[in-house]
Amino acid sequence: METYLILRRGGWRSAEDLAAAAERSTSEGERMPNDIAWIRSYVLGELDGTVGTVCIYQASSPEAIRRHASAAGLPVDEIVRVADTVLVRPDPIATLA
Amino acid sequence: MVQSMAAAIATDLLLEREALLETLAASFGAARRGSGRLALVSGEAGAGKTSLVRRFCEELPRGTTVLPGACDPLITPRPLGPFLEIGERSDPPIVGASAHDVAGQLLALAREPVVLVVEDVHWADEATLDVVRLLGRRVSSTCGLVIVTYRDDELARDHSLRICLGDLATTEAVDRLHVEPLTAEGVRELAAGRDIDPIALFELTSGNPFYVTEILAGGNGVVPDTVRDIVLARVGQLSPPAAAVVEAASIAPPSLDAPLLLAVCGEAADSVDECLASGVVRAVDGAVGFRHELARTAVEESLSPARRLALHRAVLLGLADESRGLDLARLAFHAEAADDEPAVLRFAPAAAEQAARAGSYREAAAQYDRALRFAGNLGPGERAQLLEGRSRACYLADDQLEAIAVIREAIRYRQQQGAPLQEARALTELADYLSCRGFLQESDETVQRASRLVSGHPEQREHAYVLEAAGRFRSDGDQAARIELAARALAIGERFGDEHVAGHARVTIGTATALGDLDAGLPLLEEAAQVAHRSDQPEVVARALNNMGYVCASRYRHELADAYYDAGLKHCAEHTSDLWRINILAMSALSLLAQARFDDAARQAVAILDDPRESPWPHHTALVVLGLVRARRGDPGAREALAETTTVDLQPEEFDAIVDRAAAHAEISWLEGRPEEVAVATEATVQAALERGDAAAIARLAFWRRLAETETDGHPGGESPYVLALAGNWGDAADEWARRGQTYEAALALSRTGDVRAVRRAHAELLRLGARPLAAMVARELREKGVRDVPRGPRAATRANEAELTRRELEVLGLVAEGMRNADIAERLFLSPRTVDHHVSAIRRKLGARTRGEAVAAAGRLGLLEDR
Repeated sequence: METYLILRRGGWRSAEDLAAAAERSTSEGERMPNDIAWIRSYVLGELDGTVGTVCIYQASSPEAIRRHASAAGLPVDEIVRVADTVLVRPDPIATLA
Repeated sequence: MVQSMAAAIATDLLLEREALLETLAASFGAARRGSGRLALVSGEAGAGKTSLVRRFCEELPRGTTVLPGACDPLITPRPLGPFLEIGERSDPPIVGASAHDVAGQLLALAREPVVLVVEDVHWADEATLDVVRLLGRRVSSTCGLVIVTYRDDELARDHSLRICLGDLATTEAVDRLHVEPLTAEGVRELAAGRDIDPIALFELTSGNPFYVTEILAGGNGVVPDTVRDIVLARVGQLSPPAAAVVEAASIAPPSLDAPLLLAVCGEAADSVDECLASGVVRAVDGAVGFRHELARTAVEESLSPARRLALHRAVLLGLADESRGLDLARLAFHAEAADDEPAVLRFAPAAAEQAARAGSYREAAAQYDRALRFAGNLGPGERAQLLEGRSRACYLADDQLEAIAVIREAIRYRQQQGAPLQEARALTELADYLSCRGFLQESDETVQRASRLVSGHPEQREHAYVLEAAGRFRSDGDQAARIELAARALAIGERFGDEHVAGHARVTIGTATALGDLDAGLPLLEEAAQVAHRSDQPEVVARALNNMGYVCASRYRHELADAYYDAGLKHCAEHTSDLWRINILAMSALSLLAQARFDDAARQAVAILDDPRESPWPHHTALVVLGLVRARRGDPGAREALAETTTVDLQPEEFDAIVDRAAAHAEISWLEGRPEEVAVATEATVQAALERGDAAAIARLAFWRRLAETETDGHPGGESPYVLALAGNWGDAADEWARRGQTYEAALALSRTGDVRAVRRAHAELLRLGARPLAAMVARELREKGVRDVPRGPRAATRANEAELTRRELEVLGLVAEGMRNADIAERLFLSPRTVDHHVSAIRRKLGARTRGEAVAAAGRLGLLEDR
């Protein structure tokens, strides 16, 4: 498993839509435990009023990420491999998930 | 008294198994309601899988049909062993020798509620595993519960069971149950009231229920050092005749039935009650066998070589009794252990043929090998025959290099024998294997050698085989010559009623015709497939479907090609033809990539890479496709996929694949912004193409070099869009690619035309395809040309329609419109039912519909279902 960053810009119209997507993401992720693990996400307030995300996943391959996204109905703009992590401070308090 | 104690322990042992029993009960509940299930029960040796399943079956409602079968712990098990056992008890009995037949009859049985138990499939032959795969795929529409047990602690990576389990991984109707060892608490409870230290007991046994019960049943309060000691101590307490029975049972797995017991043990057979009372062995259907395989091997290993030999001889004699049906696999096993040469040579080849007929090729190869170990006194012809059988079985079991080595040896014996016709026949086999591994030139030469041998015997059956091979493997592109050779093979084959050779000849004729004129050739191939289907030649059907896809794809009729590939994959799954399956997957991946269907192409590539079979060309193709999909979408890992191609044993003669790799390397370098690497990546292949005079390959490579500003000597030729592009006719190249359905390449060409409107169209198309890197390059050029409003991202992809349904939601909506239930949609799309519920409620919300019907109606109004 490698770590990947996934950009999903402006994928949802509202926070409610995103919450439903998060639930689907979890339930599809549970069906492929050897291929994908959702680590965390940052929710983006897009300029056009939509909602997007930056997600950190561990996955067996980029194809596994796309298969999961397609099963859960999540958009994928870009997948980037994370080469290293520099932790400075803990994340701000999470509200989602 | 000892026996009742063992029984009491066995009951207690289920104390940590309630959850598993409940899962099985729920599965059977679903099965009875018409949603059949397959339950995979795994655990280490001695974990209590059998006890669990037995308990579950005992608790079933009275009158429930339970049909148990088990695999035997022989190196070369009886093909379809457990299903033969089931078939003896079922009504109607199961007949038929192939996995396909057997699975069909079992599924028919399961129209009524039934529990099928298949134990110990870690010992199963290939055909048995094929049946399990077929059951897993189709059980959901029956009232059957299929319980399959296996040891998961010592499976090698290439174990056929792994392939089978991998195959079942995506199947919704499969439940997985793992039988864990007992906890320390569980062991303490069992040992309660005994004079034994529960902590020491737990530490020695790690909670393994078999070990725990053996020690407790030993009853002397001592925790022994090894299992072997426990078992042997118990046997040591028996009277000599009873010990003799136990020893005999230990060398004759799975069990000794009454006549066999009498034949092997004589009067000692009378002590069987004492053996049963001791609990070391048990009786099932009147046959005496060990309670557990671990105990059996402990006893077997304690016997002296001389004692073992004597027992094997006695068992062999008993089994060979004419009055009983001959169990060939068992006879061959005991014949070898009894060191009885005539018996091995009688039974092992027969067992091999039986295994091959059932599709258990690994077992067949092992049986031939067993016979060959005793072949020292055979003449060259008989020896060659065994080698030919072994080589075919190795080939079908995906050990092609061994197949090649073995058939070469057979050919030498045929020469020694002075049998030119048989030698020619063996040479055609060699040509087949060589071609499969990419040794194309040697394959050609081999066919020519065979042709010289049969030239004086035009009317012999062997001549048909040579002509057929010559037509099939001829690689110089002379289609008329191929048709002529195959037609002659067909005429002779039909005269001999040989549907195998006739079928292949028909496929060659159809293929060669279609490569010249698709509309003339396709009907011939269709007919060839139908005839082969009727005459029960599944391999010919697979090749026909494979070739139909190929000829369509080579004429850019991609949708038609996809349909044939799909039909081919379905046929291969049904007939478990794994060699053809992996080939069709690779061709399908190439066709899907050509159509820029990246998700689908990647799915086929991953399926190939997940298959442990080593076929080089499909693996190579899968890696190239995966590399290109990643690069074109801007996903990481393109270079890694391409680099892995060097680990595949591809022959330099498979030049098209070499060109694929070089072109992919160039494209990836260019897309990743390293054009300076393109020249180096393609240089050697360009040189090779020049030497071969392969104008199409030169054009393709020169195209990528041109994009990277490297010129190429030599004359690119043909009418390909690459040639048009190299001549600067980008518009014509784009049109030609579009005509071929290659939308990605068409957009690339369009983007180079310099016409701003065309370039914008190309950009929009690339965004739609999800081809981010090229879209970004084109957007940059547009901005440099002063175009202001270039869309930035592919976000439009999820907004494909007015109602803003995602692609997935559209897919679900389409199935709702077909009247499917959520559960069926989940199964079709490999989603969880919960996710489908989500999608359906999202669809209803977005369309403002209260019911599914309203949603479908609204979708119709909005035209959402038209261009799916």
